[in-house]
Amino acid sequence: MEKVLLKNIDNPDSARIEAYEKSGGYSGLKKAFEMEPKAIIEEVKRSGLRGRGGAGFPTGMKWDFASRDPKFPKYLLCNADEGEPGTFKDRPLLEKRPHLLIEGMIISAYALKAEYGYIYLRGEYPHAKVVLEEAIKEAYERGYLGDNILGKGVKFHLSVHQGAGAYICGEETALIESIEGKRGQPRIKPPFPVNVGAWGMPTVVNNVETLSNIPYIIEIGGEAYSQIGNPECPGPKLFSISCCVEKPGVYELPMGTPLKEIIYEHAGGIKGGRQLKAVIPGGISTPVLTPDKIDCPMDFVNLPKVGSMLGSGAIMVFDDTVCMVKVCWRAIKFFEHESCGKCTPCREGTGWMRSILERIEGGFGREGDIELLQDVAMSIAGKTFCPLGDGAANVVLSFIRSFTEEFDYHIKNKKCITQ
Amino acid sequence: MEFLKEIEEILNRYPDRQGALLPSLYVAQKEYGWLSQESYEAVAQALNLPPATVKGVATFYAMYKHKPMGRHLIQLCTNVACMVMGAERLVDLLKNKYGLEPGGTTEDGRFSLVIMECIGACDKAPAMLVDTDFHADLNEKRIIEILESYK
Amino acid sequence: MIKLTIDGKEVELEKPVTVLEAAKKAGIRIPTLCYFEGLSPFGGCRLCLVEVEKLPKLQTACTLMAADGMVVRTETEQIKAARRAMLEFLLINHPLDCPYCDKAGECELQDLVAKYGPEAGRFAEGKRQHPENFDDPIIVRNMERCVLCTRCIRMCNDLQGAYAITVTGRGSHSFVEPFSGGKYNCEYCGNCLTVCPVGAIMSRLHRHSYRPWFVEKEVETTCGYCGVGCSLILQMREERIIRTIPRVGLGLNNGLLCVRGRFGYDFVESRDRLSTPMINVNGELRPVSWQEAYEFVIRRLKEIKETHGPTAIGGIASGRCTNEDNYMLQRLMRFVIGTNNIDSTARLYYAPAVAYLEQIFGQGITANLIPGIANSDGALVIGGDPTTINPILGLQIRALWRSGGKVIVVGAPGGLKRFASYEVVPRPFAEEIVLSAVVSRLVKEKELKGELTHLEEKIKGLKEPAEGDLQAAGVSAETIDRMVTDLKAMETPVIVIGPELLQHGRPSKNLFLTAALAYAINARMFVLSERPNYQGVIDMGCLPDMLPGGRPIDFEMFRHKIEETLGKEVPQNKGLNLFEMIDAAADGRLKALYVMGEDLLFSLPGREKTRKALEGLDLLIVQDIYLTETAKMADVVLPAASWSEKDGTFTNLERRIQRVRAGRTISSGRPDWQIVSEIARGLGDDKVFSSAHDVWEEVIHISPLHAGLSYEDISEGKAIWPYHGEPLRGVEGEFDVEGLDSLPKVDTDAIILNMHRPLYHSGSTSRRSKALISIFPEPVLMMNPSDAKGIGVEEGEKVRLATSNASIEVKVKIDRDLQQGVVSLSNTFEGVNFMRFVDYTVEPTTGSMVITNNSVKLEKVKE
Ligand SMILES: Cc1cc2nc3c(=O)[nH]c(=O)nc-3n(C[C@H](O)[C@H](O)[C@H](O)COP(=O)(O)O)c2cc1C
Ligand code: SF4
Ligand code: FES
Repeated sequence: MEKVLLKNIDNPDSARIEAYEKSGGYSGLKKAFEMEPKAIIEEVKRSGLRGRGGAGFPTGMKWDFASRDPKFPKYLLCNADEGEPGTFKDRPLLEKRPHLLIEGMIISAYALKAEYGYIYLRGEYPHAKVVLEEAIKEAYERGYLGDNILGKGVKFHLSVHQGAGAYICGEETALIESIEGKRGQPRIKPPFPVNVGAWGMPTVVNNVETLSNIPYIIEIGGEAYSQIGNPECPGPKLFSISCCVEKPGVYELPMGTPLKEIIYEHAGGIKGGRQLKAVIPGGISTPVLTPDKIDCPMDFVNLPKVGSMLGSGAIMVFDDTVCMVKVCWRAIKFFEHESCGKCTPCREGTGWMRSILERIEGGFGREGDIELLQDVAMSIAGKTFCPLGDGAANVVLSFIRSFTEEFDYHIKNKKCITQ
Repeated sequence: MEFLKEIEEILNRYPDRQGALLPSLYVAQKEYGWLSQESYEAVAQALNLPPATVKGVATFYAMYKHKPMGRHLIQLCTNVACMVMGAERLVDLLKNKYGLEPGGTTEDGRFSLVIMECIGACDKAPAMLVDTDFHADLNEKRIIEILESYK
Repeated sequence: MIKLTIDGKEVELEKPVTVLEAAKKAGIRIPTLCYFEGLSPFGGCRLCLVEVEKLPKLQTACTLMAADGMVVRTETEQIKAARRAMLEFLLINHPLDCPYCDKAGECELQDLVAKYGPEAGRFAEGKRQHPENFDDPIIVRNMERCVLCTRCIRMCNDLQGAYAITVTGRGSHSFVEPFSGGKYNCEYCGNCLTVCPVGAIMSRLHRHSYRPWFVEKEVETTCGYCGVGCSLILQMREERIIRTIPRVGLGLNNGLLCVRGRFGYDFVESRDRLSTPMINVNGELRPVSWQEAYEFVIRRLKEIKETHGPTAIGGIASGRCTNEDNYMLQRLMRFVIGTNNIDSTARLYYAPAVAYLEQIFGQGITANLIPGIANSDGALVIGGDPTTINPILGLQIRALWRSGGKVIVVGAPGGLKRFASYEVVPRPFAEEIVLSAVVSRLVKEKELKGELTHLEEKIKGLKEPAEGDLQAAGVSAETIDRMVTDLKAMETPVIVIGPELLQHGRPSKNLFLTAALAYAINARMFVLSERPNYQGVIDMGCLPDMLPGGRPIDFEMFRHKIEETLGKEVPQNKGLNLFEMIDAAADGRLKALYVMGEDLLFSLPGREKTRKALEGLDLLIVQDIYLTETAKMADVVLPAASWSEKDGTFTNLERRIQRVRAGRTISSGRPDWQIVSEIARGLGDDKVFSSAHDVWEEVIHISPLHAGLSYEDISEGKAIWPYHGEPLRGVEGEFDVEGLDSLPKVDTDAIILNMHRPLYHSGSTSRRSKALISIFPEPVLMMNPSDAKGIGVEEGEKVRLATSNASIEVKVKIDRDLQQGVVSLSNTFEGVNFMRFVDYTVEPTTGSMVITNNSVKLEKVKE
């Protein structure tokens, strides 16, 4: 498949506007400006594009809601918080293809009649900040941003808002709070951001990758786009693959590429030819899969059928030398650290689970700990304010479900099965 | 004053003053080295926000520093991918070689170490940021070589 | 109409509410913790989870809006398990120190666990440790007990607007803290104490001495500090107030209080309280029996009346005393002794202001509802900080601003700093120029209604400031434009005026200007009132020219009516006002003065003049709860019962009459009305009053304004203007303005000493509250940073402050919001009080005082 998102990525100047324009960049924008904003939204709806931030919400529908709200100004926020452990797929877009994102945002803003945009960039990407700010400057200079874009009377202002180390700010309402200069805790929904978002105004939050798909959709048309990959959730998709594979990295493949193909063909198989033990398919919050499930196509509809989720498409591969209790412990430690503290079960429960896992991992596990862990996880699952807590509970439940013996072994033998 | 001028510029990008808080805290952190009570007050004053609000926001985020830091800040990731690829050994190494504990600063004030959650470099794990420089594919030898170039 | 089913019950709703509120309506209690009525929903504690048909996940009832056709279940096994789980989570890090915790018995967590909780916790690790913090004199924080419901934060930010506390950190390392991390530096409203469901934020005042079941009785009363008149509940045990609390739904404060109301109650227990009557024998006050004291007073008053006539006697009523007390003093003076020489410190600005405005508009013009302010769309605040003078009124203005209204503050913004659309800060006392400019412009752009021709005539004669005048006042023409535009656009504006405007420059002109403005934009007016009962003092007739009910003395009709009803003669000529009494005492015309609940030496400027005048009296009777500076000069001192020790009523600044009730049944003094009544009887009065209620019965008998207004009506909250009685109509009309066609000269060089009105103090009463003193312990001079720099002082260093009256060394506190060229000092601490430094003149038109000799010399004190 021809690369759409990672096109030209090997060109050292890929981030510069000249290189981008030379390879056909900003032509989607020009085409879009010939269309009615409504028609763009229709085109995106027709494309079947679903959000790449994790939840997979149909992008066209989200835009439709926001554009129907009569309040102005509207805001377009790009979610570049990329905090889900294992995920690094937005990073090449941000560092190497900033203009693709900017073009996508301008088209989206035009469709939504949004006049202001922010790229919420995680603080851990200082280099991306420099690149993006330079690219935005270039775009202003070329008249792609400003009060009267390309003389077409379209107004859109864009800037980078740097996050400061809080995973929860990837959640869209927490992200909005954070842009407003507040503690990044999620808001009560409804009202949804499309009606009451940043500074109380209709707001669309989209992932970097989602927005980077927009110029292509405009270019080839929604219909053609909807034929790429799995028609139920079409399009090119970036997969970031890491841990025990030969060639970790970001791969652009059609949505629905089987997990097995990605691991063994694209990523070169398990490192050192070792045995595959477990795969987390969509970032740390998604339930872990055992090797028998890897035939599954990687997309929003098929992964749930095997008990997991596509999430951010971040594949973490573990071979037989890796201790599952330890991975689980480290994952939960992450959730504890990142719990915003707003709701009781997540704030208190993640720490409790971590401490139980810590003692199991450290060889101090007690009988009944597995049941206790499951019980605590069940007490969290479905009862938290936002999906972060659910994620934590799912990790524990899926790890225990898939690797009960390993947990048991740890408790009984005070050491790891891998040792 | 440079500080106020920078904040004034930031304010242009936001519809209200609180919007400018996160970037202003970065400016203050740059100016003061870390976020002291005094720097919260300076930001509060510049943005006409209550100091308690400023502090509440600042302490929510892990990348603002609430105590003095060494000359160079090592932000080492130990999340799952980095852990699996050996980050824990690097933490031990820093402890042994520089006497550097997570959250601590070397006696000579050269390095501070902060343990990070995922920094989005899992394909090149283990990875770290030193100040704003990114370093990946670390191992015990490489990390020392890299750190030795920061004086 | 929304119809839904909750636990099988059909619930019908008129307007959309949350499932929680809908359930409450149906009598179904869903447990909650982070929910608090009146605060924005939070949805964090997860205790109110319910099942909703068709929704896959459990929902929080406190955030979910009830929708038509919804089927909700609140008591399923799944729900019970979820609640148990949430409580178990909350207890993980919660110390199980209930026997030691002051909250026990009224702890929401304890109650919830008892009802829904797990029998035992399964958490085996160590709990989070966080030592109790005692850095603050008033508030102790125990963050181990905190459940992070954020009720305190939402209260502090969203209702109080102090933004003093925040959650720092995140996750399980979240802690509620004031900025410093220890001491609070806040408004000390204590409203966070009200909402904290557990023992995490507690008052130190009753530490380890309070348990809900210790409370022997609760007495509903009205706060004795300021003119707002908040309702509060005294919780009593063994004759002591162990706590005062507000209650949601009670009174105009509806669950809120300010620092004085909440923490200042202990002044009644001050060691300074007088416990026995005293008579001055050869320059020394000696304890005597009540009988002796009464006999002395009666004998001396008789003698003086016989020798010098009734007009040689005068009385000073008190804005801190009840209506009944004040009525009785007025009665003694008028109907028993036979003089109209009665006045009070309401004279310092409040009474003249109200009288002047009523002269223009008619009686009751300032009687507007405080809780209505928040619903207005704009406010102009001028001449004082409502958030410190009348804090709960101030909150209404903050709320107005929050809901999108415009708030324009003229003068230093004080507590409205973050709640004003903008501030206009003219040079000291140049408000007259700003107002003149605004009014002149406004009437050019907006046609007047033609209703009040006497007012419109005057407006026509107003001199409009020229560009240069505005420049001298330190205000730009654009600012005036902006004000005019904004004021014109307001549909339901309020104008709030305060003492600064009325005690400086030309009070009549300033009042006229605000009246003209109010008339032009149709504003409701509020006059800030520093004492709980200044309005009552006026309404009870403690004025030299007004009878009870605000009836002018020179109308024969009113005098006659009282004479008929009471069978007593009413003296015909206007009496002397406060300042005239001082003058008359100084030149020997006044021989006896009966001062009730007022420390004249402390409260009035021109201390030396007052002292000399009082010295010249043949008889000075001081009835007070403390041995004040004035009392020390008295011939006889009569100890009074204090607020919380007597019954009666107060009338607040919106003219709402509210009950004051005794919590303590014993007192080292006697109720003021009772003392006065005893003296009246000795002077030949035949009427026996055996309770405050008896007194009130007479009030409603003779004051047409209060006709038929029983204590029951008052208790039920019906005593809101204009009552069932009749306001006086038809006497308003012509009025005078000083300097209509001129503008004041602005002195740009002087440093002016102004009165600081700290939130924590109200003068000599608050000084006797240990709690309030611990917050604001010593006199400080507030200075603008550039003025401080000008003389090279920094915060905490001392300056010598001098006028020709006094000179004192005092610590400096920097206040960024203070105008340049103004320093301010509160009237709180004996010897270092504001009034000691300044003098006054009286503006003839209004009879209001104008502070003079307020230009000060300042120099740094070298250590
Ligand atoms: C705890 C949490 C973390 C999230 N982090 C991210 C993130 O880092 N990046 C992102 O794009 N979306 C993240 N999301 C999803 C966003 O809430 C939101 O769905 C997304 O930005 C919408 O964009 P999309 O429709 O283009 O996917 C997160 C959601 C949750 C609940
Ligand atoms: S689940 Fe609750 S505590 Fe956790 S991040 Fe979401 S809102 Fe915050
Ligand atoms: S009361 Fe509903 S979540 Fe706390």
